[in-house]
Amino acid sequence: MTAPSPLWSTLTQPLIRQNPVTLQILGICSALAVTTQLPTALTMAGSLTIVLALSAGIISLIRRHIPDAIRLIVQIVIVASLVIVIDQLLQAYLFEISQSLSVFVSLITTNCLVLGRTESFARHNPPLPSMIDALGNGLGYSLVLIAIGAVRELFGAGTLLGYQVLPLAEQGGWFTPLALMMLAPSAFFLLGGLVWAIRTVRPEQAEPPEFAAPQIPEGME
Amino acid sequence: MIRGLWDRETVALLLLICLMPLALVWLWFGGPEAWTRLALALVISGAWHLVFMLARAQPPSFAGAITALAVAMLAPEELGLARLILGISFGSVMAELVFGGWGRNVINPATATLAFLGFGFPAAPWPELVLPLAWAAIPAAVLGVTLGLMPGRVIGGALLAALVSWGVGQGTWPAGLAPVLPMAFIVLVLLVCDPVTSASTLPGRWLYGLLYGGLVVLFATGWQGAAPAQIAVSAALFASLAAPMLDEAAISLWRARRRKHLG
Repeated sequence: MTAPSPLWSTLTQPLIRQNPVTLQILGICSALAVTTQLPTALTMAGSLTIVLALSAGIISLIRRHIPDAIRLIVQIVIVASLVIVIDQLLQAYLFEISQSLSVFVSLITTNCLVLGRTESFARHNPPLPSMIDALGNGLGYSLVLIAIGAVRELFGAGTLLGYQVLPLAEQGGWFTPLALMMLAPSAFFLLGGLVWAIRTVRPEQAEPPEFAAPQIPEGME
Repeated sequence: MIRGLWDRETVALLLLICLMPLALVWLWFGGPEAWTRLALALVISGAWHLVFMLARAQPPSFAGAITALAVAMLAPEELGLARLILGISFGSVMAELVFGGWGRNVINPATATLAFLGFGFPAAPWPELVLPLAWAAIPAAVLGVTLGLMPGRVIGGALLAALVSWGVGQGTWPAGLAPVLPMAFIVLVLLVCDPVTSASTLPGRWLYGLLYGGLVVLFATGWQGAAPAQIAVSAALFASLAAPMLDEAAISLWRARRRKHLG
């Protein structure tokens, strides 16, 4: 058995083991805001993955020419240009979804995940590994978004991608939608539960305790 | 509270005894339906304590029974078995057991359960508690404060807020407040005075009680169409979220004063 190639592990590491959302808690603002339905979550996930991969590629190409002092400005300009292109494409071809995504596509510009990857990886690596790393991180983000979006849409409206999966009580079925799932706190609970589940399976991700409980001397209890 | 008799379970059991007047009067008026609700809540809450004992070696606590009692009394009606189980599981696990059990939680698990059920199923009607229950809450509060389990300053602060609102209205209650008062007092004793999640500095407790009372007055006068239980539970939730901040403010004040005196 041969060891997996470095490119393959660059792609698969961020899926769960180094997942940007559940391990580094990056980009959760949009993860909370766009996951009320699966279609918006999918669109957002796709847009972010594309922006991330392209910006990583471009920044990696010109990485030897970016002066260090203004690198953040250069990176943001590149990311913002790509985001505008994606936003225009969405408005042209997926108008309804782009309406329900509202500002969150434009806010990909300031998504910590994008700048985090370009700053920490694409600036120091050649284009191909950079883009693969960006793709892996985009897919890791997408995985979380799709999981949370699916759960919220299923239990909040009984539908998946707009198709009725659970028969609603008001239409003669048995399922009463959980109104909480449509509110922002539920995304926090679900994300928290997901982080908990992943860190239970992979205890190496858990952070060390910040405080130790006071020691109780023997015989005091 | 490490030495001698006063360990966590003593507190939990004594608190349970303090709440007995309230529980017994509620069961007396509620009949078989109340008994089934309480039994169900006790079983679910107990089951989660058992799960966490087996999975994480966390000692189970009689505080689970207090949670069950508060939830059974205040949870919205006509929810059905599945949703009640979901709500109690959410509250006990997410608000208490994941933090390491009773004594380490940040908000009261019963408050979390009730807020979850209230926001999650807005169509379900909130319960109306009979007036004798509010009278039964008085001996419960007196017992709790005398035994040192419930912070008397919190009750004082809440009463002070009510008095101020009475004074502002020149001797009459503000519109909409009077029907909320009995429920607000029951919730004060059941949820707000919980020794773990209420504020724990002395000025913090006054502020915490004042905040709860103020929120009840605010919601009662400004929230159209809300049930008394909904108003009181929401006020309890927001007040308990603010409790750590009030403690922090009290500690900062104390440190600033000490720095001024001692240099």
